[in-house]
Amino acid sequence: MKKKKLLIALAGNANVGKSVIFNHLTGLHQHIGNWPGKTVERAEGTLHFKGYTIDIVDLPGIYSLSTYSLEELVSRKYIAVERPDVVINVVDASVLERNLFFTLQLMELETPIVIALNQMDIAKSKGIQIDIRKLEKLLGVPVMPTIAVKGVGIAKLLEKVIETIEKKQSKTSQVTYGEEVETKIGKIVEKMKSVHFVYPQRYVAIKLLEGDEEIERETQRTNPEIVDAAKKLAGEIECIHGHCCSTVITSERYEAAGCIARAAQQLVSPIKPTRMEQLHNFTTHRVTGYLTLAGLMILIFYSIFTFGDYASGLLSDLLYGLAPFFASVFGTGVVGDLIWGGVMEGLIAGITIVLPYIIPFYIILYFLENSGYLSRIAFLMDNIMHKIGLHGKAFIPMMLGLGCNVPACLGCRIMETQRERLLAAFVTTLVPCAATTVIILGLVGDFLGIHWALALYLFNLAIILALGRLAFKVVPGEPTALIMEMHDYRWPHMKTILKQTWFRVAEFIKIAFPLIIVGSLVLKLASVSGWLETVASALSPVTDAWLGLPPIVGITLIFGVLRKELSLVMLAALLGTSDFALVLTPVQMIVFTLVAMLYIPCIATIAALVRDFGWKKSLFITVFEIAFAILIGGIAMRLLALFM
Amino acid sequence: MEKRNSKRSNVPLTTLKKGEVGTVVSISAGHGKGGGFEKRLMDMGLTPGTRVTVVKSAPFHGPVEVIVRGSRLALGRGMAKRIFVEI
Repeated sequence: MKKKKLLIALAGNANVGKSVIFNHLTGLHQHIGNWPGKTVERAEGTLHFKGYTIDIVDLPGIYSLSTYSLEELVSRKYIAVERPDVVINVVDASVLERNLFFTLQLMELETPIVIALNQMDIAKSKGIQIDIRKLEKLLGVPVMPTIAVKGVGIAKLLEKVIETIEKKQSKTSQVTYGEEVETKIGKIVEKMKSVHFVYPQRYVAIKLLEGDEEIERETQRTNPEIVDAAKKLAGEIECIHGHCCSTVITSERYEAAGCIARAAQQLVSPIKPTRMEQLHNFTTHRVTGYLTLAGLMILIFYSIFTFGDYASGLLSDLLYGLAPFFASVFGTGVVGDLIWGGVMEGLIAGITIVLPYIIPFYIILYFLENSGYLSRIAFLMDNIMHKIGLHGKAFIPMMLGLGCNVPACLGCRIMETQRERLLAAFVTTLVPCAATTVIILGLVGDFLGIHWALALYLFNLAIILALGRLAFKVVPGEPTALIMEMHDYRWPHMKTILKQTWFRVAEFIKIAFPLIIVGSLVLKLASVSGWLETVASALSPVTDAWLGLPPIVGITLIFGVLRKELSLVMLAALLGTSDFALVLTPVQMIVFTLVAMLYIPCIATIAALVRDFGWKKSLFITVFEIAFAILIGGIAMRLLALFM
Repeated sequence: MEKRNSKRSNVPLTTLKKGEVGTVVSISAGHGKGGGFEKRLMDMGLTPGTRVTVVKSAPFHGPVEVIVRGSRLALGRGMAKRIFVEI
C-alpha cells in the first residue's frame, strides 16, 4: 500500500510555544530555509505516523492575517494556496482572548483547524480555568490541551489531527459580524458569484471592506467594479459607526473572541503575583532593570570569551598537531604549503571560532529569547535605539554584533519591515566584533594603554549613532514603532534551544566556512607568489600618503576583509616583529585600528548581507564603509599628529 | 457626565499614571503609511472601547507597558501618545 501524504501547518501568535510543538513533532527531520524571495524564515519537517507521511510547516508567529508584516502575508498565502490538510492553531491558554482573535481569522480562511491549547500550566498559575468542551462547542473546532515544554498532550494532539482529517470535518463555523457589516458582506459576495479567487469569497469580501492592500490589488486586476463597490460600502459603514470600516470589523471580531473567551474560561479568585511576575517587575524596573541588563551582558561576554579562549586554544593545539601529517603527505613545497597554510589553516580558524564561541553564544541567545528576556531588553533599550530611528528590538542584533557580525546580520530579521532590517543590519556591521576587539585591545590597548582603547570604543559608538541617524534620514520609508508583547517569563525547553542552535550554527558554517577557506587560500597564494609587494605599492597612495601607514601595513587592511581575526598576526609577520612599538608610531597604531574597526567586518558578513538584502545594497554598504573608514583614518592621522 | 472632576476624556495614553485604567476612544494614525500602526495596534487588541491598564513607563521617555485583554504589551512612547483614552 502506498503511503498517504499529509500536509500540516502550525500557526499562531508569537511566543505561544509553536516551535516547541514543531520540534516535538518533527525531531531532527527538519529543514530551515527562507520563503522564496522573502527574508522570512520557513521551517519544515517530516513525520511518520499511523501509515502517513506528514509534512509539517511551521508558519511564522503572527497576531493577525492582515498585511502588516511580511510574515502575515506569507502565512495567509500559504494557507490559501497550499491548502494544508489541517492547520494546527497553537493558542496560549493564558492569553485566550487575543489568541482567539487570530483563530477566528484562520476560520475565515475556511481551512480545517485543530487547536493546541498550550501553556495550560501558565494559565493555571494565573488562576485561569478553561472549559475545553465548551470552547470546542463555541468554536466548532477540536481543542487539545497541551503543555509543550513538558511534552504533555502532543501525542493526543497528533491523533486528534489525524482523526479530523479522516473524518473530513464539515466547514468550521464563522464569526457573525453586526447586521450592517453582514449585509455589506452579502452584497459583495453576490457580485462575486462567477469569479474565482485564491481566497474564499466571504474572506475576500471582508478583506475588501477592511481595505486590505494585497486583496484590493488582486481583485482590481480582474474585477475592478467589485473593489469600487466594496469601497462605497465601507464608506457607508464608516458613516454609521464613526470609525473607519477596518476598525469596526476588527472591533467586532475582537468582541466575538472576547465573548468566546469569557464563556469558556473562569477566573479563579485573583492569586498573589507569581514569582515570574516579580521577576518581570525586577528586570524592567528603572534601576534594577538596567543594572540587571548591564550585569548580565558583562557576565555573558566575559564567560563566553573566557571559555572560548580556553577551548579555542585547546582545539587549535589539537588541530595544529596534524601539521606533520600533512607535511608528510603533501610535502613542504608550494602545494603542501597551499594545502596546509591555505585550506587547512582556514578550516582550523573556522572550527576554532565556531565551536568555542558561536555555539555557546547561540545557546545563551536562545535561552534569553525563549525565556522572554529579550523582549525586556527591547523594552529597556527602546528609547536609546530611537535616537538612530530604530526601535528597541534592534538592540538585539547590535548586541550580537559584539560577538560576531554574521549571526548579527541574520538576526536583523526580527525587525518588522524590510527597511528596518536594512537599517539595523547597516548599524550592526559598524559594531566592533570579537575579532576587531582583538585588534583594539592587542594593538592600542597593549601598546598605548587601555584608556586609548576605551576612547576608540566610545568613538565607535558615536560613529554608530551618527551614521545610524544619517541612514535613517536617507533611506526612504516610515519608521515603525515598538509594539511588542512581553509574554510571561518561563523556563525554556532545552531541546528546542539546542535544535535552534544547531540550525543556526549549520547556517553559519554554510555561509562562512567556504569564504574563510577561500580567503585563507588567496592569502597564502599571494604570499607564496610574491604579489603582496605589488599590491602594497599599488595601494601606497592610500596607505602611505593618505593614512601615513607603512605600505606593507595596507595589505593587512585589504586581507583583513578575508580573515579579520588574523589582522594582528599578519601585521606581525609582515613587519617582522610583534613588538609593534618598534615599528609603528602611536598615531599609526591608532589610525590602523580605527580603519580596521570601521570598515566592513569581513567577507562572511558581506555574504550574510547579500543573503538578506541582495548584491546591490550589500555592495553599497561595503564600499561605503571602506571609503568611510579610510576617510576617517586620514583625518584622524592629521588631527592626532597635531598633539602626539 | 463632565461634571465629575475625575473624568477625563480623550487624553493621550501617556498621560495616565502608573496603575490607571483607561478606555480606548480612538487612535490617530497620522497620514500615509502610518495607517499600518493603527491596524497593528487594533490587531493586538487595542480596539475602541477596550480597557487598558498602564503598568509603567520605561525611564527617559521610553515605551509604556500596558495590559490589554490579559496580555502585556510594550508600546513605543511616540505611538502611545496617539492612542486617546478616557478615564
